[in-house]
Amino acid sequence: MSYDDVEIEDMEWNEEIQAYTYPCPCGDLFQITKEDLRLGEEIANCPSCSLYITVIYNMEDFQNDTKKNNQPKSSQAVAVAVA
Amino acid sequence: MAEHGGTPAPADEEEEQVWSWGAGTDGQLGTSKLQDEHLPQLLSLTSLPSVSMLACGGAHVIALTSGGKVLTWGRGNSGQLGHGDILDSSLPKPVSFLDDYVVTQASAGWSHSAFVSDSGCLFTCGNGSFGQLGHGDNTSLSTPAKVSYFVDKCVKMVACGMRHSLVLSAGNQVCGFGSGKRGQLGVSSERTKSLVNLPCVVSGLEDVEVVCIAANGDHSAAISASGQMFSWGRGFCGSSDVQTPQCLQSSLSFRELALGWNHALLLTVDGEVFKLGNTLNKQSEKQSLQVDSSEPLLEKVSGFDGVKVLQIAAGAEHSAAVTESGEVQTWGWGEHGQLGLGNTNDQNNPQLVSLGSIDQRTKDTKVYCGSGFTYVVRRYNIHHRNGCIISNV
Repeated sequence: MSYDDVEIEDMEWNEEIQAYTYPCPCGDLFQITKEDLRLGEEIANCPSCSLYITVIYNMEDFQNDTKKNNQPKSSQAVAVAVA
Repeated sequence: MAEHGGTPAPADEEEEQVWSWGAGTDGQLGTSKLQDEHLPQLLSLTSLPSVSMLACGGAHVIALTSGGKVLTWGRGNSGQLGHGDILDSSLPKPVSFLDDYVVTQASAGWSHSAFVSDSGCLFTCGNGSFGQLGHGDNTSLSTPAKVSYFVDKCVKMVACGMRHSLVLSAGNQVCGFGSGKRGQLGVSSERTKSLVNLPCVVSGLEDVEVVCIAANGDHSAAISASGQMFSWGRGFCGSSDVQTPQCLQSSLSFRELALGWNHALLLTVDGEVFKLGNTLNKQSEKQSLQVDSSEPLLEKVSGFDGVKVLQIAAGAEHSAAVTESGEVQTWGWGEHGQLGLGNTNDQNNPQLVSLGSIDQRTKDTKVYCGSGFTYVVRRYNIHHRNGCIISNV
């Protein structure tokens, strides 16, 4: 059973592992790559345990990888919120 | 200790044991091994004198000594250890920035840390991307910095969740900052939709004498002097999110509160434990129990056989309690050994953790939970008399 449903805008882009991440209750991170998202994958796994989450996102946002719309809105949420 | 006229009173000394178990791959167990432990590990922490409290976060630990000094260890990649770098530390290391302060309380979030000094100042460090450090920006800090908003506010207590922080200050004010997406900041305005990087007063608690606050995951809660419990943020058991503090309708009087990511534990003044929501092992029950219910269901935790509970703690998906007889009991999700029972099984009811013998020297036992790990600090009384150490029987 999926641990939780998480919107892509609530996940954080992790440069080091090149994946979107979200905290896992075990202490590690649920992870999903842009390639996974482009292929329509919606499960983000945790490398340390059996848990996984369902990622809510719009597949079209990840279709054109080289275009500017490959960044989901959330990436700018941090900057927007300051205003 | 009773004084007897004439004879000099023996000097009481305390001996302390620190045990840890559960998820350990980031060094959070303080064992210097980066691995999970399914059974309690007795730590030989010579660098850790007389612990007054521990705070356990996503994968890091803060220890306060009785002298108000601060040591941290575990995951440090966001600067949450406050060592001035973004390195992990598998053994306790002093937070030298706080050397000039007497730190009386601390809290560890998923990847940030907060410290309260005896002078009522608040310091924060670690991940700041959601505004959870309260400095008016979204930058992360690897050294603690004083939060200016509270400079003249006399902070009493801080509680850190996954991406937010709560602060209780003199004059009964509760403030929140960080991510408020699930209502966990308790700010009843449009601002909850975004991130709040400066402290905002939590609405609806103005007339409540708050004595204790708690935060974990996307949950926030408080206990009043009259024993009422208020909660806000993500709903328990699939009930809807709560934007401002809501008083739990109950005739019980609560004195302690611990939050997980999907459950809350409540300790009554009579030493009974109740819970809201469910940990992973009982998630499947949520459909049957919670159909069409917007109000979370308060359930008694059974299995203590009438023995009173003195203290409670909650990890993300597990729970722990110390009973009157000094025993430590754990239940909930066990995949990383966080229940300390020697396996990775889940437990629906409290189970006794084996931590060596409890004798009359045992003075007190405290349990603390991080996301996927658990700590116990146990103190013993020791008498020094004529140069010998004898037990205080």
